[in-house]
Amino acid sequence: MLFVDLLIQGIVQGAIYALIALGLTLIYGLLRILHVAHASLFTLGGYVGVIVTNQTGSLTLALCAAMVLVGLLGMLIYRVAYRPLLDKPPLVALIASIGLFIAFEEVFRIVFGSYGISFHNPPLRAQIEFGGGLLLSYSRILIIVMAVSFLSVLAWLSSRTRTGVAWRATVTDPQMAASFGINVENVRYLNFFIGSALAGAAGVMVVLLTNLAEPTMGAVASYKALAIIVLGGLGSVRGTLIAALAIGIVESFGTVYIGHILDRDAIAFAFLIIALMLRPQGLLRAG
Amino acid sequence: MSKLLKNFGVAGLVALISVAVPASAGSIKIGLNVPLTGFAAADGKSALLGAELAVEQVNAAGGINGDNLELVVYDDQASPKESAPLAAKLITQDKVAAGISGSYSGATRAAATIYQENSTPYIAAYAVHPDITRSGDYVFRTSFMGEVQGRAGAKLIGEIMGKKKVSVITLANDFGKSLAAGFKQASAAYGIEIISEYDYSIKDREFGPIVSKVKSESPDAIYASGYFFTAGPLVSQLRAAGIDVPVIGQEGYDGEMFIKIAGEAAEGVIITTSLDRDSTDPLASAFIEGFQAKSGYPADMVSASTHTAVLVLAAALKKSGAGDKASLRDAIAATSINAATGNISFNKLGEVRKSVQVQIVRDGSWHHYAVISDPVLLAPPEE
Amino acid sequence: MAYEIIVATTMAITILFALSLNIITGFCGQVSLGHAAFYGLGAYTGAMLTKAGWPLIAALPPAAIVAGSVGFVVGLASLRVRHDFLAITTMGVAFLFVGLVRKQEWLGGEIGISGIPAVQFGRPGLLVLSIICAALFAALAVYIKRSWMGFAFDSIANDEDTARVLGIDVPRFKLWAFVIGTSGAGVAGALYAHHVRYIGPDSFGFVESVTVLAMVIIGGVGSVWAVALAAAVLSVLPLWFQFVSDYKLLIYGLLVFGVMRFSPDGIAGAVQRLLNRRS
Repeated sequence: MLFVDLLIQGIVQGAIYALIALGLTLIYGLLRILHVAHASLFTLGGYVGVIVTNQTGSLTLALCAAMVLVGLLGMLIYRVAYRPLLDKPPLVALIASIGLFIAFEEVFRIVFGSYGISFHNPPLRAQIEFGGGLLLSYSRILIIVMAVSFLSVLAWLSSRTRTGVAWRATVTDPQMAASFGINVENVRYLNFFIGSALAGAAGVMVVLLTNLAEPTMGAVASYKALAIIVLGGLGSVRGTLIAALAIGIVESFGTVYIGHILDRDAIAFAFLIIALMLRPQGLLRAG
Repeated sequence: MSKLLKNFGVAGLVALISVAVPASAGSIKIGLNVPLTGFAAADGKSALLGAELAVEQVNAAGGINGDNLELVVYDDQASPKESAPLAAKLITQDKVAAGISGSYSGATRAAATIYQENSTPYIAAYAVHPDITRSGDYVFRTSFMGEVQGRAGAKLIGEIMGKKKVSVITLANDFGKSLAAGFKQASAAYGIEIISEYDYSIKDREFGPIVSKVKSESPDAIYASGYFFTAGPLVSQLRAAGIDVPVIGQEGYDGEMFIKIAGEAAEGVIITTSLDRDSTDPLASAFIEGFQAKSGYPADMVSASTHTAVLVLAAALKKSGAGDKASLRDAIAATSINAATGNISFNKLGEVRKSVQVQIVRDGSWHHYAVISDPVLLAPPEE
Repeated sequence: MAYEIIVATTMAITILFALSLNIITGFCGQVSLGHAAFYGLGAYTGAMLTKAGWPLIAALPPAAIVAGSVGFVVGLASLRVRHDFLAITTMGVAFLFVGLVRKQEWLGGEIGISGIPAVQFGRPGLLVLSIICAALFAALAVYIKRSWMGFAFDSIANDEDTARVLGIDVPRFKLWAFVIGTSGAGVAGALYAHHVRYIGPDSFGFVESVTVLAMVIIGGVGSVWAVALAAAVLSVLPLWFQFVSDYKLLIYGLLVFGVMRFSPDGIAGAVQRLLNRRS
């Protein structure tokens, strides 16, 4: 029973990681940029989620608001920060992104206070009991459902719609795509919107679990998500998903059984390093 | 001719001004390093407000024999790398008479070295690192060492509450580890059996795996260390998993935010700390009301401890004056005053001797539960 | 006097730290997001030796050797993975270092190592020692840059595969870059430990690695003087910015972003453009 419990914890954590890392991998696949500031969008999603829920009482509205607002901000970041740096070495974009991340963290602290904010009435606290004393809260179930649905929608969009095909073409070969009349710029904006919206949703999900939106809540995501997309095979959506779940589960069992030897991040990175030494291109190749 | 007039004019103006402006009271500067940015900014803000309140109260009551107390504040981001140069700046450039740390352990430890090197008194308000006072005889601490508070926790759980099978969940930093060490040290004496121990990182907010494992072990009580941003989610998740046994924490939980985050799950949580909200002591209630009025939120342990540190320094300054640092140090060592956090005096090492307050969450706020005053149990190390 | 000496020592140590990363990432183009781990290795080694009675100067070579040896192993990883994969691998190394150290009681665990002995010849002496180490390393860097090794580094940084075709022993040079760079970081770390006289696992985390990388990029990869300047300025920026204390970090973040946005080749590049415009 404990084994199943830990496994499910790992899957829930993996699902959250997946929501965050997905956006990152979409952006990397398109631009080859390690978008650290993505974690700031995740944090903003959490804040919007709490604020809108506290004002209106509706979590659904909060989720939509978070996704839209964060998506828009993501597009703005592309326009202001990354587009001018596309022809520069990738390290430049990485450092610029880190500078942005630090600045955002401070803005959250200055605007919303250093203590962070919580739900007045935390939603979805109720739980369902499964066999053998296994309790799963509605919020945890929602996370898994959301991750699965978003992924399915994305997969469907990218293979069945014109926009999706255009997107895939642009990722594979931007110049060829452009010569076919695809507006590469629009694809990029769409990419940032979707990727950021997913991060915003992840932010709301995390605050549902912890009941605390605080300025530094993106700190772990800022580097963990990078590790996940690299492990998955940079640019591969399926690889990212597998990597996210793998790391979630490894952390879940690892922290309980070898938490005295290594802390959580070290466990995740030990797993990552071993995996990369065995498969230097990541779990799956991009595509 | 006009030049002469101009000179006379200027001289006359200067004379007029120096007579017209009354001689202002001298001021005595004390240094304060707090984290105002970075991950510890929440506690830094509380510490700063607590210190400012104390300074206001001291000055309103006549200051230090007529001179005003003045705070020189620097933001150290809770980083040892930043706090050391800042300490040097406070001592050599701002020429403070003494310093107070409103910051975390690492930063305090680094700054303490500088203060000791420069023979300037330094009081740590709430940092728990065991070696802070070992920097030298100029360094003092007005809050409990981690291990002292841990021992109090053992007495609380084993004797006062009568629980024997305990699961220990420890925040993996100096704060959590020293608490756990003290708890383990004293647990045998109170009949406590520690059935399991878990560590978590200060960055963790989701504790699913640990919660699952603890649930499968059915302890009588849980001794969990952390700050409000980890303890809040932890307690919340423990209760959500159906774990009903008492959860005992420490001063890291102490504040309103813990209750806000954990909501109903906070009811019944017990902590060892320094501030008694139900205290009838006029100093404590003056502090609690004054802080609420000044900051707009309820007082917490960090602000209370920093407030106390300023009062200790003020009392010592009144006795010895600000002129000679060595006699100021001696005055601090001989402290015996009452403050919001209790009766304060120091031992040979500079560690505080005071009672441990035990508080419980009832009806959404902190209230008195017990007091632990066992001087033998709570005796801090002498060196 | 004491304050200026402390500030200057901080600058000198940070300059050494940044120049050491410049060899790996600036000269040889191998991204390292985990350089703080080697800083930490040097710091812990130096601290444990001096606490056992060694004088600081005698503790510097072991600090360099310990850091350099681990650097060699990490360098081996750079033969297996490249670019972004290497960046994340090195990042992982830093997390592994911190994660391991904080659990080892003999290294002080979470409590860290405090009471690191004061340097025999006082803080002015430590300043002189730090300046000497930084200057020596800077001279070494300039020498490397102009030597055959520097040429090899440069070609590897530009295009690894072409360098291989040209007959350059790429693996050997990559390993040299890592060994030299990490040894330098080790020395800087040992000096740091005796400057602040207290070290703990949190002093060598991801944030430190990112900060020193930012110094290298803001200076302008490969340029010795510019990286030194960037390191000197950024190391004491928080001190200068105390007057805007609440906005300090915000300004720092915006500054880092701004430099990248408007002068992606760093200070060196900006100065170069200025000089070009003149002529």
